[in-house]
Amino acid sequence: MSGKEKKTVKTVIDGKEYAFPQGTTILEAAKSVGIEIPHFCYHPGLSIAGACRMCLVEIEKMPKLQISCHMTVDDGMVIHTNNERVKKARKAMLEFHLVNHPLDCPVCDQGGECNLQIYYMMHGNYISRLRENKVKKTKKAFQIGPHVMLDQERCVLCSRCVRFCQEISKSNELGIFQRGDREEIDVFPDMQLNSPYSANVVDICPVGALLDKDFRFKTRAWYLESADSICPRCSRGCNIEIHYNLNRPWKNEGRRLARLKPRCNLEVNDWWVCDEGRYSFKFIDDDNRIEGPLVRTDGKARNTGFKEALELAAESLRNSAASTDVEIAVLVSPRAANEELYLLKHVFSEQLPGTRLVFSSATPFEPTEDDILRKKDKNSNTRGAELMGLTPDSAQVWSLSELKDAVLAGEIGALYICYHDITGLPEEFSAGWAEALERIPLVVYQGTNTCPTSEKAQIIFPAAAFAEREGTVTNFEGRVQIQQKVFEPLSEALPGWQIIQSLGVALGGSYEYESAEEVFADLAKNEPAFAGLSYEKIGSGGFVAKDAKA
Amino acid sequence: MSVSFPEKDRKLVEEMIRHYPHKKSAIGDVLYLAQKHFGYITPEVELYVASLLDLPASYVHQVVTFYSMYLKKPVGKYLIMLCDNVSCLLCGAEDLLGRIKEKLGIEVGETTQEGKFTLWTVECLGACEQAPVMMINDKLYGNLTPDKLDRLLDSLE
Ligand code: SF4
Ligand code: SF4
Ligand code: FES
Ligand code: FES
Repeated sequence: MSGKEKKTVKTVIDGKEYAFPQGTTILEAAKSVGIEIPHFCYHPGLSIAGACRMCLVEIEKMPKLQISCHMTVDDGMVIHTNNERVKKARKAMLEFHLVNHPLDCPVCDQGGECNLQIYYMMHGNYISRLRENKVKKTKKAFQIGPHVMLDQERCVLCSRCVRFCQEISKSNELGIFQRGDREEIDVFPDMQLNSPYSANVVDICPVGALLDKDFRFKTRAWYLESADSICPRCSRGCNIEIHYNLNRPWKNEGRRLARLKPRCNLEVNDWWVCDEGRYSFKFIDDDNRIEGPLVRTDGKARNTGFKEALELAAESLRNSAASTDVEIAVLVSPRAANEELYLLKHVFSEQLPGTRLVFSSATPFEPTEDDILRKKDKNSNTRGAELMGLTPDSAQVWSLSELKDAVLAGEIGALYICYHDITGLPEEFSAGWAEALERIPLVVYQGTNTCPTSEKAQIIFPAAAFAEREGTVTNFEGRVQIQQKVFEPLSEALPGWQIIQSLGVALGGSYEYESAEEVFADLAKNEPAFAGLSYEKIGSGGFVAKDAKA
Repeated sequence: MSVSFPEKDRKLVEEMIRHYPHKKSAIGDVLYLAQKHFGYITPEVELYVASLLDLPASYVHQVVTFYSMYLKKPVGKYLIMLCDNVSCLLCGAEDLLGRIKEKLGIEVGETTQEGKFTLWTVECLGACEQAPVMMINDKLYGNLTPDKLDRLLDSLE
């Protein structure tokens, strides 16, 4: 905090005195001491609307109940968040909110994670007194943009989504139109809810009025488990939760990963993620995953098991190294985790000295960028590679085009490709590569999914996707963050660092790391930029590497 | 954008904006001007007004749909707004309504074929002392009787 510290005030909440920084809202203050006050319209990332009146509390000496999302704590304040008067008001508010709400829960995708449901069970629980017909709204299961479905009747008019579109995405598609009991949420006529951040409104909608088209009806929320991770889709490294389902493979077409949700990190992404990131996980459960180590002879690929493939790779690489006319090159990926990059650097320089490292941060994705979250660099770990000296800033590392020149000059005897689908890159990077790949006597590919580039390889190693292995990535500002292992790698796939380590062993080295964390411990010892870091220190919020220049 | 104000109205808009500390506060006035000029307010007009006031179109649409007196659809040359709240009803508004419907051959909410009259019923016009009352466009007519109503409607060109 800049300037002088905020004054502390003493406030009594539910019979206990606490000290809070002046200016804290009652709702946040209560939350910080473990008292949850129900609310719909309040969201810590948005302006205060005071629209839903669910958060009413009693403040002694004030005649009327006050909204705790807006009222701030003060010296001598005595607050009751749960006495009879407050409970009665809450119940009445819920009754209002439910007057025109349809009985949709059994068929509503929000079921199980709906605040209206939860609050009703906790604070409502009355028998309906309503004899009047409910006011029907027109748009139900109505698509309002590429990712979002609208159900107007389920809306509690909290205006969170409207404020998100005004204040965060600044795209202003949504509004609350009409008046009174005809009020309804909608997009401006003929507009689409299609900002690059559109699906965040689904997360903040407290009810089932805005739903994720992609996730809808795939599985029930209560079947999902959650693990913390980092979005792999750009160098911002937004903090996310991975929601997955392993126990009911008949749901969601057997896909394990059901959806990504933003995880709040005020240093990185606040409460949000972009749509590109949110839907970037499909490749993990795709049919084109590489499931086993393949060796291709006479155009036919066969699964040989890891042992044989590794031995063959080691032997071929060594043969290539023995020749004085040609070089071995490794195309390093800025999407590989720090641990994998570290091993790559060591295994090749130790076992096959003189190996040429090549680096490219090109991706098939559009280089979208804005001043909200998205960064042009669509890799999760370019910065990590940079901090380890694996990018073309270091003179020994080549760019993709330098590599191509060498290939065309017949100087490359073997190429080990990590993750890159070179031929699938935009024209300026991929031009000529389909042909160039044919000119290399040995191409080894390590990756997650079959692609035109892997099709050109003689040896293919199946790598675990980011959700299938533990590892760290370094975002654009040098923040090192952990991607947890969420579930086992598909079939025979292995974490990248493990593949590289096994290759190192097959090449005659001795590498005996038992876990990514162990690799990281060594990395932190040997790479000055990462000095002093450990998984523990990185924790769930990440930690900025030492030499990271902004 | 295909809709826009003529020069003199644009001057008016500037004046309206000067009345308020914030540009967006002029929205009511500007919308009313737009309604006068274009007849009714379409999304296209909303986009135009939004551009004049540096507001999101969705914001303008919120205001337009909130107030019933911003017209979203075309109305006849004469918009009849008959009060059907309690004071007026007690003083005979019901008869007047029947009379208008019969005379013009339209129901509440409808417009006569040639586009001359539109009939609305509205909430209390705040002129109960003259009940029954109605407005035609901007003008209030009080102490109505069926005869007076007839004469009034006949006198409109
Ligand atoms: S759609 Fe959801 S977020 Fe938007 S106003 Fe309604 S309840 Fe709130
Ligand atoms: S901004 Fe980048 S890191 Fe964040 S969600 Fe989008 S793609 Fe993922
Ligand atoms: S949360 Fe306080 S009024 Fe809605
Ligand atoms: S009731 Fe008609 S003017 Fe008041």
